[in-house]
Amino acid sequence: MDPNLANNPELLQFLNQEKERAMVNEMVAKLTSVCWDKCITSSPGSKFSSSETSCLTHCAQRYMDMSMIIMKRFQSQ
Amino acid sequence: MDSYSAPPMGGVSPSPEAMMEQVKTQLAQAYAEEFIETLRGKCFEKCITKPGSSLGGSESSCVSRCVDRYIEATGIISRSLFSKQH
Repeated sequence: MDPNLANNPELLQFLNQEKERAMVNEMVAKLTSVCWDKCITSSPGSKFSSSETSCLTHCAQRYMDMSMIIMKRFQSQ
Repeated sequence: MDSYSAPPMGGVSPSPEAMMEQVKTQLAQAYAEEFIETLRGKCFEKCITKPGSSLGGSESSCVSRCVDRYIEATGIISRSLFSKQH
């Protein structure tokens, strides 16, 4: 590998940013998949009902809450 | 089947800027393809419940709505996560 590129701070920062962006993208994708399955139980309509919208909103937040509980519990073992 | 490899560059190293642009383009393509693959799975599941000898009109419109709704759902989830409103 070109040693200049490995030492280029701009490039390193760029790669770190893209890594973080990829992690965020993966989390959103996973959560959307899980919450879609949980919340959209009937055939997709031409818009979401208000209960579907609340379900999706809540689903993401509750998933993150759950994730915290799991981490704490796991670390206390 | 790797469609993400950079073409061989002869003997010259690309500039950092060119590399960053190439990485950004390839990442965007990869994200898009992954998203489309998810759409296929979700919408087939929701809309093609009993595959027939052709796609019916209601199945086709269901798929169109499904794509729109799933994109909308992605936005809802994203905003739910990144604006703290507990």
